[in-house]
Amino acid sequence: MIFATVYAIALLCGTIALVIGVVALMRRTERRLGPGPGGPSASTTPGAGAAIDPIAAYLDRMSGELALPAADVAEVRAELADHLADSIASLEAEGLDRDSATREALGRLGPPAELGRQIHAAHQSTRRLLAGAGGGVFAAGGGFVLGYIAGGFMVSAVIIGLAAVSGVLMLLGLHLPNLLSDTRGLGGNAMITVLATAIAAYAATRYAIRTSASVSHRTPRTIAVVWAVIGGLGFGLWALFGLHGYQTWYIVAAELLIPMAAVAGAFWRVERGLPQAGRAVLAAGLVAFIVLPLGLFAVAGGASVTVSSPGEATSFQMSDLHLDTVAPMAPTKWLPEQDVISGDFAVDYAADLTVVTASRFSAEPATLPIQPLLANWRDIRFEAWHAMSIDLPGPGGIDTHYTSPFAVQPATLHGDSLAASFPFQKYRDAGSWWVVLTAVGPDGRRYRLDIGGGDYTSFSGTAWEWLTAPQ
Amino acid sequence: MPGPIRGQLLKGTTTLLVLTVLRDGELYGYEIALRIRERSGGAFAPSEGALYPALHALEANGALQASWRESDRGPRRRYYKITKTGLGMLEAHAEEWATFSMGMARAVGGATK
Repeated sequence: MIFATVYAIALLCGTIALVIGVVALMRRTERRLGPGPGGPSASTTPGAGAAIDPIAAYLDRMSGELALPAADVAEVRAELADHLADSIASLEAEGLDRDSATREALGRLGPPAELGRQIHAAHQSTRRLLAGAGGGVFAAGGGFVLGYIAGGFMVSAVIIGLAAVSGVLMLLGLHLPNLLSDTRGLGGNAMITVLATAIAAYAATRYAIRTSASVSHRTPRTIAVVWAVIGGLGFGLWALFGLHGYQTWYIVAAELLIPMAAVAGAFWRVERGLPQAGRAVLAAGLVAFIVLPLGLFAVAGGASVTVSSPGEATSFQMSDLHLDTVAPMAPTKWLPEQDVISGDFAVDYAADLTVVTASRFSAEPATLPIQPLLANWRDIRFEAWHAMSIDLPGPGGIDTHYTSPFAVQPATLHGDSLAASFPFQKYRDAGSWWVVLTAVGPDGRRYRLDIGGGDYTSFSGTAWEWLTAPQ
Repeated sequence: MPGPIRGQLLKGTTTLLVLTVLRDGELYGYEIALRIRERSGGAFAPSEGALYPALHALEANGALQASWRESDRGPRRRYYKITKTGLGMLEAHAEEWATFSMGMARAVGGATK
């Protein structure tokens, strides 16, 4: 227990260090991609200290026309300040006093607004725009990978934190509802993936904008809209059609957050860089990579849960299955008791289909041809009903909240068995189901031919398939 | 009216002049302006206001490469260096200018006699 606790603490610290490390890595790469002048600043402006500095006023007016990244603006200001210093010194050497030399030097550069507009236009070349677009795409890929790694650890850290809170509450006698109990862990796994992807989308768009702005010499704000549209549409289409796996309402809702995260990354404080961190934090992040798997192993080992399987259920009565909700059992005069029809099912994962079959057994038991038994029956079909969760204690059986099957398939004869295929994996929230063979008897009424059987099937597909799937 | 006439003639030639003086080595903005004036014997004096937009445009198009470093006489300067793209551009511009100037000389030759 102490071992697990120590590792859990190390796990949390490692996760935090790792996230900061990844951010630092992104920041360092960003600085490398940037054009930074390596030292110039407005402090090189000559004549500082005067009550009203005409040079500073000129440069301010000129800078007002420069919609460029801050580093570029600083470069232009420093370069022109240097030029003015040289020009004034030269004019003073020719005999002009300081004020006259300054006026003359400024006059030679022309109106500040016009100069600013011309320099701004000079920076906006197609070559830089294309380079910025290419750099942005490249950076988006890198940002996505880094964001996904950081997001995975962040979400894991949150889950571990929630588990810790849950553990404390349990010690205090408070039990939280298990929201994922009916998904056999699929919901939790899918949620981690989706949330990590949302964080990755945020990082990808943001990193693309920062890099693209830096390379194309434009302000992040001016290109944020373009990247927001690209990120929103791209990640939106991916969230709807690209993420294939377990789906339910909260997973789909989280998937729809992915394009919103991309758009948020484009606009939320995009002018600000990412926080800087030192090499020590990067080293801590590296250590976290080693600590995290060990911590996960320790925590997982200490949190084993015993789950009783449906097969271990205690004895039950046939009435517990509530099969009369479907139809009454076939009278023995049309379906002799010694002729038992029993069903089975198998999942065709390649086709996302569940294949149900029903066969006739004698007392031995041995499979017999089912065809002679069906002479009295017509409209033979398999009915799929919503069922009691088979993960809960009890035999399962029909969920009596429903009065009709959610899917029906005609039973077709294959050799000595009846068969049908149900696309349960494509039914929204099919969850637990129970399939029963029914048919219309000589009296024109529908009867059950077997007691059927059930299982749990999770939805498998894209968000779009879930949204358009039958209930 | 020599000033305005010279200004009109110089319009569009700043690129050629800048590339020409940078062919001999790296220079910063103010030095480029001085060098053009010196090399032309004072005949050409490009507007300082036009010089920096031209330098930045050439840099944006890959004709020049700029870097900050210490100068021989004073603080850090932004030095410009011509690139292979810039040399190609200089060659093309020089050829155009030669054609233009010879044509102009022939056309107005009689007027200056």
